[in-house]
Amino acid sequence: MIMAPQSPEGSNPGSAFELGDLLARVANWDRAAFARLYDLTHAKLYGIVSRIVRGPDASCDVLQDVYVRLWERAGDYDASRGAPLAWMATIARNRALDEVRRVRPISLEDISGNFEPAAEEVNPLRARQNSEEARALLRCLEGLDEEKRRMVLLAYYHGESREALSRRFGRPIATVKTWLRRSLAQLKDCLGS
Amino acid sequence: MSLDPEDEMQAAEFALGTLEPGERATLAARRLREPDLAAAIGEWEHRLSPLVDAAPEVEPPRELFADIETRVHGHRRSKRAVATTTPNGGGDAEELQIQLRRWRGTAVAASIVLALVLSGFAFREVTRDGAPRQFVAVLQKSADAPAFAVSINLDTREFTVRPVAAPAPAGKSYELWLIEASLGAPRSLGIIDAASVTRAGRLQGYDRAVVADATYAVTLEPRGGSPTGAPSGAPVFVGKLIPVDP
Repeated sequence: MIMAPQSPEGSNPGSAFELGDLLARVANWDRAAFARLYDLTHAKLYGIVSRIVRGPDASCDVLQDVYVRLWERAGDYDASRGAPLAWMATIARNRALDEVRRVRPISLEDISGNFEPAAEEVNPLRARQNSEEARALLRCLEGLDEEKRRMVLLAYYHGESREALSRRFGRPIATVKTWLRRSLAQLKDCLGS
Repeated sequence: MSLDPEDEMQAAEFALGTLEPGERATLAARRLREPDLAAAIGEWEHRLSPLVDAAPEVEPPRELFADIETRVHGHRRSKRAVATTTPNGGGDAEELQIQLRRWRGTAVAASIVLALVLSGFAFREVTRDGAPRQFVAVLQKSADAPAFAVSINLDTREFTVRPVAAPAPAGKSYELWLIEASLGAPRSLGIIDAASVTRAGRLQGYDRAVVADATYAVTLEPRGGSPTGAPSGAPVFVGKLIPVDP
């Protein structure tokens, strides 16, 4: 069931209010609303997908899948469980992660990918945050050791696997896994308090 | 909600994206049928989602919306057709997938529903001692992309494989494997047909516990099956059995 979130931003273009309203219309197969939703969100979602998936062709394919999914599943959006863009971004991240975590034979592409120059790391601590939720999460992230925080952020924004993080930081995979889990548990405790 | 601590951490890593491919595929499948786990994953996704605020926008290198519209238009057509399609009457796999997605929205255990619909009847066979004997596994590469539904009768060791949406690439065959720690190497259960239902009793040499605990995996092999008797590559679809019983 869709309910447009009540927002002080009103119906500003691209606001949570507008995106929620568009999702509700897309759930009723409104193609004009779908086109508007694409216009407002595709650069954000492509930004998320293209940091995780290697190469523009694969990233474009994933983005197409994401919008096909949004078309089919707009009715699943539940305003009580977060902002519309965060919900859409979760779908995009999951589709991108499914792509790079696919169970498949090793291909040449996977190996040559290791030689790509590292993309610039996203550092949310430097970005200006406007949501209270984001500020709370960042305060908690600041409570992590620098190395552990970078691991979490590289995993989140760039889809780095335990193995990739192990190579990057020169730590055993088991250590990376332990640190990631401890960091996540620490974030949960921090957010819950 | 009392979730196993390991499951809680797997849910967290699922949301972060750091599970290994096999772990991720397994968790994605469990998410469809375990409400507590699904809720934990949803909470973790929500907890981390404010990070997307800081993700810089990037314009795609080419115009994509026209292609998306074309695909969406096809789906819309399918949606209308669903009402008149009999699910077990050889309905189009695409339509079944769309139905599956719709059902999932109603929080039904989709993998079970899928298996039931595809088989066309509800099996609730239970042995005299009450232990379930009918099991299903949905083999998939991601939660939204079931490829084969396998149902297995533990008493007779007979299994049935139904394709959902897995076009066989030209010149290739799908081969089904049984993977279980006590067996060592994966054991072939033979070629499965991507276009029609495969029925076989090839599990008869295996212990009941092995059959129940095993991972079922599908690999892409040269036409006719693996020439060596071992999988030629990593699985393209995987799944575990779940009991079909009340």
